[in-house]
Amino acid sequence: MSEEVDLEVLAESFNEFLIAEWPREKAVAYARRNEAYSADLWSQVAALGWTALNASEAQGGLGMGTPATAALHEALGAAASPLPMLGNTLAIALIEAIGTDVQKAAMLPALIDGSERACFPEPGAATLNADGLVLNGVVTDVLDAPAATLIFLRATQAGKTVWIALPTTAKGIEITATPLADTSRSLGTIVLKDVSADASNVLAPTNAQTADDELMRLAAIAIAADALGGGNAVLAVTIEYMKVREQFGRVIGSFQGLKHRVADHKAALEAARELVEHAASLDADAPDALLAALTAKQHVTRVTAEVARDCIQLHGGVGFTSEYVPHIYLKRAKLNEALFGTRSVLLDRIADMLEAK
Amino acid sequence: MMSRTFDILGKVGDEQAFRQEIRDWLAEKLPKNWRQKWQNVRDEALKAEVVKWLETRREVGLGAAHWPKEWGGPGLPFAYQIIVFEELSKADAPELDMFGISLFHTPATLFEHGSQAQKDKYLKGITEGTDIWCQGFSEPGAGSDLASLRTSARFEGDHYVVNGQKIWSSGAAHADYCLLLARTDPNGKRKHDGISYFIMDMKSPGIDVRPIHQITGESHFAEMFMDDVKIPIENLIGAEGNGWNIAQSTLSTERGLLIFGEVERLARSFELDGRDARDSWMGDVQFRREYAALYGELQSVRLMIRKLLKELEANPEKASPTLPTYIKLIWGPFLQRYTEFLLRAEGLEAQKWQPAIPGTTHSSRLRINDFLNSYGWTIAGGSNEIMRNIISERILGLPKG
Repeated sequence: MSEEVDLEVLAESFNEFLIAEWPREKAVAYARRNEAYSADLWSQVAALGWTALNASEAQGGLGMGTPATAALHEALGAAASPLPMLGNTLAIALIEAIGTDVQKAAMLPALIDGSERACFPEPGAATLNADGLVLNGVVTDVLDAPAATLIFLRATQAGKTVWIALPTTAKGIEITATPLADTSRSLGTIVLKDVSADASNVLAPTNAQTADDELMRLAAIAIAADALGGGNAVLAVTIEYMKVREQFGRVIGSFQGLKHRVADHKAALEAARELVEHAASLDADAPDALLAALTAKQHVTRVTAEVARDCIQLHGGVGFTSEYVPHIYLKRAKLNEALFGTRSVLLDRIADMLEAK
Repeated sequence: MMSRTFDILGKVGDEQAFRQEIRDWLAEKLPKNWRQKWQNVRDEALKAEVVKWLETRREVGLGAAHWPKEWGGPGLPFAYQIIVFEELSKADAPELDMFGISLFHTPATLFEHGSQAQKDKYLKGITEGTDIWCQGFSEPGAGSDLASLRTSARFEGDHYVVNGQKIWSSGAAHADYCLLLARTDPNGKRKHDGISYFIMDMKSPGIDVRPIHQITGESHFAEMFMDDVKIPIENLIGAEGNGWNIAQSTLSTERGLLIFGEVERLARSFELDGRDARDSWMGDVQFRREYAALYGELQSVRLMIRKLLKELEANPEKASPTLPTYIKLIWGPFLQRYTEFLLRAEGLEAQKWQPAIPGTTHSSRLRINDFLNSYGWTIAGGSNEIMRNIISERILGLPKG
């Protein structure tokens, strides 16, 4: 019970901070620039301990678990904040799960205090060959790579799947940013030419599938939570607008044809919330933990993309201008749908899991 | 084999043991072929079947499982009521069909607003007898806009004289009593004023009940015509003119348990539907994905209802007033889309008509029946268009049109 209350207080503190430090005007102005992430905002939230949230207390983190991580990502989505948080969330979880004590001591502190920013390739991205510890290859479309200081690459070594963590400053690494419609996130292609790694960079899972699934589970929950926050935020903005915008001598929010649409959106987001909270509440090894996370991801990102799509329409002409905020949420919503597995890919996997039940 | 005695109520205090005892009891006492039996009988013969199951439930104290002690029920803590409904649904035990109003709406209304004499007279007929109650609320001109009802009740010395027409009364054809809303004062300030709440004996002269033939081929509902029907003054529930308020407790009484039972029943058939389709539409990539997507929607409804039940268990006064509205607006359309999905997935086979199976709510697994029946959740109990008005105006604060 006290945990639940704490979570609410925590979520409130995330939102309050972001409303103050990343108000709509800032988000609108930022969307016109072309930056990998907001360095100022990142140092502020790191100083507040947001990057330490899902790290265990033993490693110097806050040990607040997945529900708190979901609450954080929901708040980040609500503010459309340009922070490469997902990489750190995943990196901390992976290192804690499969890193050696030496690796934990070497890598975790800087991820926890936010001085390092990690990025992870999409599942199914190119797997490099790490035999001989010299890496060559191209990994395309890595979320937040242009903002990262530490990249995680999937590789095989002596026939086994491993993760290799390398600083972006390592000799032979080149990262090229690919412009995205959603300027609140960044995407990059990583080219590796004769990059030397050593054993300290190699994270070897005892079970590669388990490690992959756990990364996917956390990413799915974080993205679903981000989508949930964005959906509620864009709907709230739209309802505000509908209360003041007048046409034909009355506010457009009094037209039943529009009211019923936002009522449906609101109900859909209330239902979506349950999937996110449920997925976040399950332990990693609970029987349906991955099923719940993938279900939340495919459903909530779809719902929010539809809500955001309609919110532009409900705004009318101004919704099509970059002066107003809905387009930022629409673009973020569409990117969330595409990240870490499109809906079809996830649905196929969900169907497999339902059949195996 | 000698049947053992089951002591379900004696297990209160140990949820696991309670649940197991219900499972054991169901495994032994639930007739395996009840679906076939119930499908092929109607009217009095169906009532006899339902009563048989009701008696089986009474043997273990679960005739009216959700009733508190003071109503004459087992007084189970809410968490245990949830277990009862969950296990009955999981085991595909039948709903008590035509006893719905008797078991939910009548006691809630009488216990909160009825006189001692009314409670004494009528509740035994439900806990120990087989009285069927129906509800006389909706009218041809007052559906979702219930408050504009026009059936009149004129006071004449020691009784009221009722004239008017009711519609959508479930089970009215077989009912012994009716919970009736009628207008006692046509000059009320608002249309909600001047409505009174009565118990109407269905054997009273002047009542004509005509079945409504539904799109499902069933006649679950009826129209009632009242022509100078006399209702004695002692059958007025609460104060004259207070009917609208009393009706609110009638309608809000089910505390989520009915919908919970229905959704858990659907969750069971959803799983069976996918399993049975392994060699058919689950092998089709499009249907398979659709099924996986519908799973997410189903889970979201189940989770919303669990949240509501948890809140009610913790403190009914503090439970979210908005959650039930969201649940209705998500569940009805989901049910409609899922049952329609099965029609598309199963082709011609799904179009073949069979009589409905009473007691299965929305999970008879007769495809076309379940689909047609799904309108019960999108139209009844305040149509979903009304739900959208409620959400946009009362929750989101948008102005009335």
